[in-house]
Amino acid sequence: MTEKSSSTPVKSAIRARVKNATIQTIFVIDDDELFASCIKSAVKKHNQNLVVKTFKNALDAMNALETPLPSLIFLDVLLPGADGFTFLNELSSYPDTAKIPVVLVTSLELPEADLSIYGIKGILDKATMKPEEVIAYAKRYTN
Amino acid sequence: MHSEVNLNGIFVAAHELKAPLALMRQLALTLDPADPLSTAENREKLVTVSDRAIRQVSDLAKIARLEDGLFEMEPVAVRGVCDEIAGELKYLFRSEEKSLNLKYSNNQKLVIANRDLLHSIIYNFCTNAIKYSDSNSASSLAVRDRKGKVRVTIRDFGPALPSDIYKKLAENSLDAPVNFSFRPDSSGLGLYIATKFARFMRADVGAIRHRDGTTFFIDLPVSNQGVLF
Repeated sequence: MTEKSSSTPVKSAIRARVKNATIQTIFVIDDDELFASCIKSAVKKHNQNLVVKTFKNALDAMNALETPLPSLIFLDVLLPGADGFTFLNELSSYPDTAKIPVVLVTSLELPEADLSIYGIKGILDKATMKPEEVIAYAKRYTN
Repeated sequence: MHSEVNLNGIFVAAHELKAPLALMRQLALTLDPADPLSTAENREKLVTVSDRAIRQVSDLAKIARLEDGLFEMEPVAVRGVCDEIAGELKYLFRSEEKSLNLKYSNNQKLVIANRDLLHSIIYNFCTNAIKYSDSNSASSLAVRDRKGKVRVTIRDFGPALPSDIYKKLAENSLDAPVNFSFRPDSSGLGLYIATKFARFMRADVGAIRHRDGTTFFIDLPVSNQGVLF
């Protein structure tokens, strides 16, 4: 009896860890909530089980970075307060967060080659991107 | 130099207009005939975004026509304009989980202005408040008397106005939109439009930076016809 009650919290902790390990999260950081909702909707269309968290600024996203870390981040560059590059600098300064794949979503014209130091996996141009491209990245970086 | 300023202005205006167009395109691509609920929702969003873009284009067009005598000055009941804008933007504030409080304490009811241009200025400041204020915050639209003028203020709670735009505004030298910085998409285009309209109406536009947001104001000359009411 005693044995059973002592194992319950351990079992539930293991269950929670297993559950957390299987849930995959994608971050969308864009101060334009409508644009963020378009990306979210494309990801959800690909896989309903993916958790998509949207953030209006980099600071909130940084504070939300905890284990399990997101599988992918869609990041706008022009953000209120700290901009996308400040977020990328912060991200690359920790060994675990430096591994998170990041896709820039911006209307600025940025040279892809110069961004490789940040570990950018791709750039989506807000003016020409398609939901299929968002889905392709989601497919590539989630199970 | 003059043409450089204009080119920069065109670049910034084009960039600002690109944002709603890109968003409209994205919303259109998200439309899913198999999902009527999200389609209806997206259609509403499309209308809202396109309305805002049309308003901005139309304001830019008005700047070009200011000297053509199309905008007559007349006594305008300023509270009526504010009520109208608050009504127009009620849904938008609510959908963004924000609100707008109205505070009227002006004894001078009439100002000398062009109703259309005054509407554009206040509307611009209010949509700015929607865009930049924090979620669940309440912006305020106030009208009061101030040193022989009537002051309309819009206070928002979010990131403060970029210092470069603030300085230009304080020096009355906002002659073109400036490059975007602290407030993203904040090129000062809306403020530039407001400044142009205000100058035409012999009114003053300004801003007060707070640690937790910005107050924009416009000081309008009082209409003497006010004594008849």
